[in-house]
Amino acid sequence: MRKTLTRIICLVVVAIMALGCLVSCNTPDEAVNYAENNTTIKVGVSGPLTGGAAMYGIAVKNSAQLAIDEINAAGGVNGIMLELVAADDKHEPTQVSTTYTTLYEGGCQLFLGTVTTGPGIQFKDYALEDGIFYLTPSASGDDIPSADGGFQMCFTDSNQGTASATYFNTNYKGKKVGIFYKADDDYSVGIKNNFVKGLDASFGTPVEASFTGDTAMFDSQIATLKDCEIIFMPIYYTPASQFMKQGSGTIKSDAIYFGCDGFDGIDAVAGFDIKSITQEVSYLSHFDSTSTSGPAADYIAAYKAKYPDQPLNQFGAAAYDCVYAMVDALNKSGKEFSATTSAQDYATILKEVFTSDTFVFNGVTGECVGDQKSTITWNDDGTVNKIAVKYVVKEASAN
Amino acid sequence: MDFITMIINGLSIGGTYAIIALGYTMVYGIAKMLNFAHGDIIMVGGYTIVLFFPISPVVGIIASVIFCVIVGIVVEKSAYKPLRGASPLAVLITAIGVSKLLQSAAQIFIGSESKGITVNLGEIKMGSVKISVLTLITILCSIAVMVALTLFVKYTKTGRAMIAVSEDRGAAQLMGINVNFIIMITFIIGSALAAVASVFLVFKIQDVGPIFGAMPGIKAFAAAVIGGIGSIPGAMVGGVVLGFIEAVCGMIPPITPYTDAIEFAILIIVLLVKPTGFLGKKRREKV
Repeated sequence: MRKTLTRIICLVVVAIMALGCLVSCNTPDEAVNYAENNTTIKVGVSGPLTGGAAMYGIAVKNSAQLAIDEINAAGGVNGIMLELVAADDKHEPTQVSTTYTTLYEGGCQLFLGTVTTGPGIQFKDYALEDGIFYLTPSASGDDIPSADGGFQMCFTDSNQGTASATYFNTNYKGKKVGIFYKADDDYSVGIKNNFVKGLDASFGTPVEASFTGDTAMFDSQIATLKDCEIIFMPIYYTPASQFMKQGSGTIKSDAIYFGCDGFDGIDAVAGFDIKSITQEVSYLSHFDSTSTSGPAADYIAAYKAKYPDQPLNQFGAAAYDCVYAMVDALNKSGKEFSATTSAQDYATILKEVFTSDTFVFNGVTGECVGDQKSTITWNDDGTVNKIAVKYVVKEASAN
Repeated sequence: MDFITMIINGLSIGGTYAIIALGYTMVYGIAKMLNFAHGDIIMVGGYTIVLFFPISPVVGIIASVIFCVIVGIVVEKSAYKPLRGASPLAVLITAIGVSKLLQSAAQIFIGSESKGITVNLGEIKMGSVKISVLTLITILCSIAVMVALTLFVKYTKTGRAMIAVSEDRGAAQLMGINVNFIIMITFIIGSALAAVASVFLVFKIQDVGPIFGAMPGIKAFAAAVIGGIGSIPGAMVGGVVLGFIEAVCGMIPPITPYTDAIEFAILIIVLLVKPTGFLGKKRREKV
C-alpha cells in the first residue's frame, strides 16, 4: 500500500516537473524593453572621453551629435527625433560592463558600439547576448564584426592589406614594390599576407624585409629595400619613423613610404621631423581629414563650425557616417518602428537591411568622386566594403 | 644581395657590439663580476646625447661620456663595493637589480615614450657601393678603441696593475696595488666605453627609450662570452661574429625573424664545445 502511494507521488511530481518544463518552453523569457518610456530614439556609444585615447572618443561623440542634430533639423526619422547617449569607457575593457549597462538599460536602441578595439571585444559579448545591433565607427579589430549583429564602418585590420593591394594594382602599376613588416606582430603579418595575396601578378614578387622585437638597427633591411620605388609598411609609427630616419640617403629619394592606420600620428612623433626626409609618406585610410572639396570637406566644415577647438579625425567622420547609415537603413527598411520599439526589434530590422544585397549607403568616408558621396556596402559577416583613399602625410620633396 | 654591403653592415653592427662587449669583458676580467647594468649605462648615455644634441652633437658626446662615467662610479660605489668578497651569485643578482632600477627610473622620470633626434651625416660613394659616414666612423672608432685599450693594458703602469689584479687579486694587493682603485678605474673605462657605444647606437637608431640598452647589452654579453670573456681581442671577435650573423640574417627575409634565436643558439653551441670562448684562456684551478 505504502509503496503504491510513493509511486503515485513520484509520478505526480514527475508529471508536474514535465508540465512545468513544457509551460516554460511555451512562454519564452520576454526580454525587458528598456525603451518603453522613450520619447526619442536613443543612439548609444561607448568611447574614451577621458584618458590617453580621448581625442578619438571626443571626435566620435561630437560627430555623432553633429549627424543627429542635422537629422533632427530635417525632421528626424519618420518624424521621430534622435538623441545621443555617450558613455566614457576610458579605452579600458573593464569599464565596458558599466558603459554597456548605462546605454542598454538606459533605453538606447541604436548602438555605435565602441570607439576602440580593446573595449569593443567586451562590448560585442554583451551585445550578442542581448541580441542588439551595433555599427562601430572605428573598432577595427578582426574580432569586432559578427554576422549576429556587429558591423563596422572602418576597415578590419587585416582587410587593410587587401585594400592596399587593390590601391597598388590600380595606381602603382609597374613600380618595384618592397614590404617592411614586423614578423612577431599579428597585426603586421596579417596585413602583409593579405597584401601579398591581393597584389597583381604584374608586380612580380615584392622584396620583403622584416624585423622583430625592439630591434632598431635597420641596416640590413634598408640594404634589402634600397632599390624599391614604393615600400609598403604595415607597422606602427615608431619603428616606421626610425626606419625612415635611418634609410634617408640609402632608400631611393623619390620612393614612397606607404603605410596603414598604424601611420596615423607619424607626423607628430617626438624627435622626428618628417620634413627632413625626401620621400613621400602616405597611408591608406577611409577618410582624408585635409580634404578641401567634396562631401568630406562639407563634413569637415560643418564639424569645425560646431566644434572649432575639438579634435577632428577619421574616427569622427566614421561616426558621422554610422549615424546616417543606420537612419538610412531604417528609412529603407519599410518596417514600422517608434520611439518605444525595443533595441532587439531595431536589431532585427537593421540586420536585415545591412545584410541585404541591395543596401548601399552613401557617406563621407571612402572615396568620394567629385561631389558624389562614397559608396559603402556591407558583407554578411559585418565587414565593410568601400574604396580606400590615400592620405598623404607628406608630399615627396627635393632635398 | 650585395655582398659588400653585407660585409660593411656586419662590421658596423659588430663594431658597436664589440665596444659594448669590451665593457663587459674588462669588468669581468678585473672585478670578476658580470655587470648586467652595462646595457643600461648605454641607455643613460643615449638620453644624455638626446638631451644635449640640440646644443651641439659634440657637447652631447662629451656630456654622455661624463655622465656615464659618473653613473658608473655611483653604481660601483653604492651597489658593488659593499659586496666585494660576497658570493658571486649575490653580486650577479645585484647587477640585475641595478639594471632594472635604471630602466624603471628612466621610465618614471623620463617616460616610456621614446625620444628621438634626427641625424644625417651623409654617405660616401666608393665605386658602386654607398657607405654612410656613420658606419665608417663606427668601424674605424671601434678598431681604434680596441688598439688603444690593448696598448693601455699592456704598456701603462695602471694597465699592468689591471692584469695583475685580474690574475691574482690577493697577490696583487700584497705587491702594493690598490685593488679598489684599479676596480674603480675599470668601471670608469667600462662606462666610458658604454658612452662611446651609446653615441654609435643613438646616431644610428636616432631614438632612445627606457630599454634602449637592454637588447644591445645582452647581445654584447653573448659576444663577450663567444669571444672568451675577459679577453680584449675576444670581445672584438665575438662582436664581429654576431654582427655578421645579424647582417646575413637581415638580408635573407625568410630567416630574419629568427636572427636573435640564431645568435643565442650560437652562444649555446660555443659554450658546449668551447666553454672558454674562441680566445678565452683556460684557467687551471689551484689546489
